Amino acid sequence: MAGAAELVLLGVGIGIKLLLAPSYHSTDFEVHRNWLALTHSLPVSQWYYEDRSEWTLDYPPFFAWFEWTLSQLARWWDALIVDVDNLGYAAPSCVMFQRLTVIVSELVLFMALQRFVKINSHSTQAQVAAALGFFSPGFLFVDHIHFQYNGFLFGMLVYSLVLAYEGRDLLSGIMFAVLLCFKHIFMYIAPAYFVYLLLNYCLVYTRQQNADRLNLGASILRLLQLGVYVLAVFGIAFGPFAAMGQIPQLLLRLFPFKRGLCHAYWAPNFWALYSFVDRMLIVGSRIAPNLLPNLRVNAAAIASTTRGLVGDSAFAVLPDIAPLPTFVLTLVAQIPACAILLSSNRRSPTRFVQSVVLCAYASFLFGWHVHEKAIILVLAPLGLLMAAPTRLALRMFVVLAVSGYYSLFPLLFGMQELLLKTAILLIWSLCALSLLKADGESAWKCLSALEKLYIAGHIPLFVLTELVPAGAFGHLQFLPLALVSVYTAIGVLYSWCGLILDFLFLS
Amino acid sequence: MATKTRPKGAARAAGRASTAVKDVVPLNAWFRFLEAQDAQKVALPVTLLLAVLVRWCVALHGYSGQGKPPMYGDYEAQRHWMEITTHLPPSQWYFYDLGYWGLDYPPLTAFQSWVCGFVANLIDPEWVALDTSRGIESHSSKLFMRASVLVLDLAIFVPAVVLFFRSRRVPTSWVVRQVSTFSVLLQPCLLLIDHGHFQYNSVMLGFLVWAVVFAASDSYVSMAVAFCCALMFKQMALYYAPAVFFFLLAKCFQSSHGFILFIKLGLAVSITFGVMLLPWIQSPDQLMQILTRVFPVARGLYEDKVANIWCAVNVIVKLRSIYGIDDLLRLATAATALAFAPSCVHLFVVVKRHAGKPLPAVRDNIIRLLNYGLLNSSLAFFLLSFQVHEKSILLPLAPALLLIDDEPWAVNWFVQTSLFSMYPLLFKDGLAIPYAVLAVGWSVLRSCPVCPADKQTPRVVFAMQWLTTLAMVALHAADALIPPPTSLPDIYVVLNAVFSCAMFTMFFLYFNYRQFTLLSRPSADQTLASKLKAE
Repeated sequence: MAGAAELVLLGVGIGIKLLLAPSYHSTDFEVHRNWLALTHSLPVSQWYYEDRSEWTLDYPPFFAWFEWTLSQLARWWDALIVDVDNLGYAAPSCVMFQRLTVIVSELVLFMALQRFVKINSHSTQAQVAAALGFFSPGFLFVDHIHFQYNGFLFGMLVYSLVLAYEGRDLLSGIMFAVLLCFKHIFMYIAPAYFVYLLLNYCLVYTRQQNADRLNLGASILRLLQLGVYVLAVFGIAFGPFAAMGQIPQLLLRLFPFKRGLCHAYWAPNFWALYSFVDRMLIVGSRIAPNLLPNLRVNAAAIASTTRGLVGDSAFAVLPDIAPLPTFVLTLVAQIPACAILLSSNRRSPTRFVQSVVLCAYASFLFGWHVHEKAIILVLAPLGLLMAAPTRLALRMFVVLAVSGYYSLFPLLFGMQELLLKTAILLIWSLCALSLLKADGESAWKCLSALEKLYIAGHIPLFVLTELVPAGAFGHLQFLPLALVSVYTAIGVLYSWCGLILDFLFLS
Repeated sequence: MATKTRPKGAARAAGRASTAVKDVVPLNAWFRFLEAQDAQKVALPVTLLLAVLVRWCVALHGYSGQGKPPMYGDYEAQRHWMEITTHLPPSQWYFYDLGYWGLDYPPLTAFQSWVCGFVANLIDPEWVALDTSRGIESHSSKLFMRASVLVLDLAIFVPAVVLFFRSRRVPTSWVVRQVSTFSVLLQPCLLLIDHGHFQYNSVMLGFLVWAVVFAASDSYVSMAVAFCCALMFKQMALYYAPAVFFFLLAKCFQSSHGFILFIKLGLAVSITFGVMLLPWIQSPDQLMQILTRVFPVARGLYEDKVANIWCAVNVIVKLRSIYGIDDLLRLATAATALAFAPSCVHLFVVVKRHAGKPLPAVRDNIIRLLNYGLLNSSLAFFLLSFQVHEKSILLPLAPALLLIDDEPWAVNWFVQTSLFSMYPLLFKDGLAIPYAVLAVGWSVLRSCPVCPADKQTPRVVFAMQWLTTLAMVALHAADALIPPPTSLPDIYVVLNAVFSCAMFTMFFLYFNYRQFTLLSRPSADQTLASKLKAE
């Protein structure tokens, strides 16, 4: 019967997503339509050079092949979709086709979660965690309204993690390599995979005289085995392009370093707080110049960060940040993630998922030009841990989920989507707060008073930033978006501290 | 309760229902799960939020007459009324340029248009500018129109439904109550017509449910006022009038204060009508104009293809070419009266017998009886009266849905058929996707046709539900795949109407039978009542 219930849930999900089809879609819709067209109409050698549209192909080759596969169907559905010169095509048939590809490809996530439930012996908690993952506002907002293919990609990530749970580390590693060749943002969590596979798969111990000894030969053999497989995956993906001598061009497309530290809308991370302090210092220097006499304000920078340009973000008062320090900071922040795996004697798959979570977290908090959508990279694996959470982890998950998903609100800025995003987030949060449990107590009961207050605080924040007309903020135009970033960043940072505490010291 | 079909050993059946139903109907399983997880508190909020979400999702899709100049459709009609009521004095409301969607609903609709138009005028005067705004289809004006339906729906219909399922004197189980509330709030027909096709039926139906809620709390004056509001919002509420009239009349025969109640009701009705008609009350011409606008007899026996008896008969006997319009009007009226008479007389007799202060269980049965009366009376009107629209099936649906926990399989089936009967209309409006999603959603979540594992429902129902569902699917498939022959271009629409009409006639007979046998069949409530008596 469990299967029937899950199928009903799947059906409800598909139904809601079909109903959402005519809602707003961002430029990412045209990005993917253009990729359908160019992979269909051009020879492989042209894929990474084509630039008739400004939305050039900037995902790794497997994703391009994925688009190529879809384009074969698209041609049959509506040939106008795959015309490279038909820029900005968004007729209802095209919208329906692309929406359907997202919905159908998301089945990968559903099947991965099914498998996850199975290895948790169909416990109610695991089913709840899986259902919350499948109905995550992240996927509903970003995939089914804004338009992207995260459901499918995260399905592969969950599959890879489930393989690790099942003890099939090599397959898990290969799956992750494949995933990287679909979308390189998953490099954020590569350190966790690297350390885990190295320690758990490659190092082989043999029992000698009541002590475990490293079996060097067997270990090297495994390392080679893993290396060969991973390199083979990358070879299949990038080999043809390497043969055509296009690797520099690919790298240029995949890593566009001209972008700034923060996106136009600050993702709720450390740099959002940094930017906000900078902004406050500008305002402070205007209101009370005497209090801060030594403040040197860079007038040219004042206009930049908040005016919606995806350019360099310059700071007016605080020092500017170059890419390199953010990398160093990210790597330093990832130390706890890897430390989880180093310190424990028994490197369980749960440990591994924890380390993936912290790894993604560190990249999100300190990375260069982080998108708000990247919070899903933290929330998706963390959601899996909610099948059997500690009280602290559950509290942190709920705080992070509410603030993280709320931080996606500015992505769907239209009046029409206001009700959609609010209803979706509220339904999901109510279910999560009442159905996720630790020690038999619901998440809401586990929360401390302060955390409850913080979660409830999103309601006045919503009123202030979504319902009050923008004109009410006068020349402080940046304030509504900045408020969302800063308020949600507090929750995101708080949960990070709590999770480090929980993963590193308590569990 | 689902136990009605097995009269013997109601208690045993109830015990079995709690295990059997859990596995069979997904909606019951969901609320049972919430109960088991000790999460009852979020059940109603989640239901309400889902109701909002699905309504707004349907609203993303097409509406009647979208992009079809010069006349557009019901959407433009409603918007146009906002335009004329905002800019013209009431004396012109029923006269202004009648050729372009002249106002043809009673005054409360006019007032609703006036309030909406006033708000629209505050936000963006272009949405309702006199004459120049005709056919405006901007994104923001569409959002406003959609939001106005949603707000009125949430303000009037939704609270009434929630209250109704809490008004039982003999409490039903928590799960059953939640399932019923969910089902009524998310039933596809009203959602698709109001939030898709575009109308404000939820206001009229909301007033009707309020009338039932007031009846359940013994406030008959409020009931009369609520019903008058429904009537003054859409004249179609007349479909209910016989049942409401006989119910209230029977209440006036109660031993104490019966006559006073009669006077109060008379005053309440007169005052309500008087207030609503106040702007026009001094001019007989104006009142006549309202009357002829509201009852457009000249429009003929029925419109388009509708699943009622006249339209079905017309396939074989061309009534409209044999009889004049006056004869048809007389024929239709007489047939309607004959059809609703048994149900209304029964309602009157039973309510009169129990007027006063009966037992809680009997009081619940009286309200059930009222709902059966409303259902049978409005279904009689739908099948036999003059000038019926396909959307009017919403009227019998509303009281039927209030009986959903007494008649689970029949109401499921009724909703399914009604939805199917509106398909040609919804398809024209570009609502095929929401239609498909909600039709499948209803069938799956409420398990209609009955799931083979369900041992409660009679086998004959099981077989018939599967047959009719297959017939509907087959008709959809044929419609999609086989082009109609050139000599019969409307074949699918006619087939749909005839099939639905046969189903509705069957439902009419069945629900009449159920009304007459309500008091003689043992219900879970009655067993409980007799138990209480014994103690």
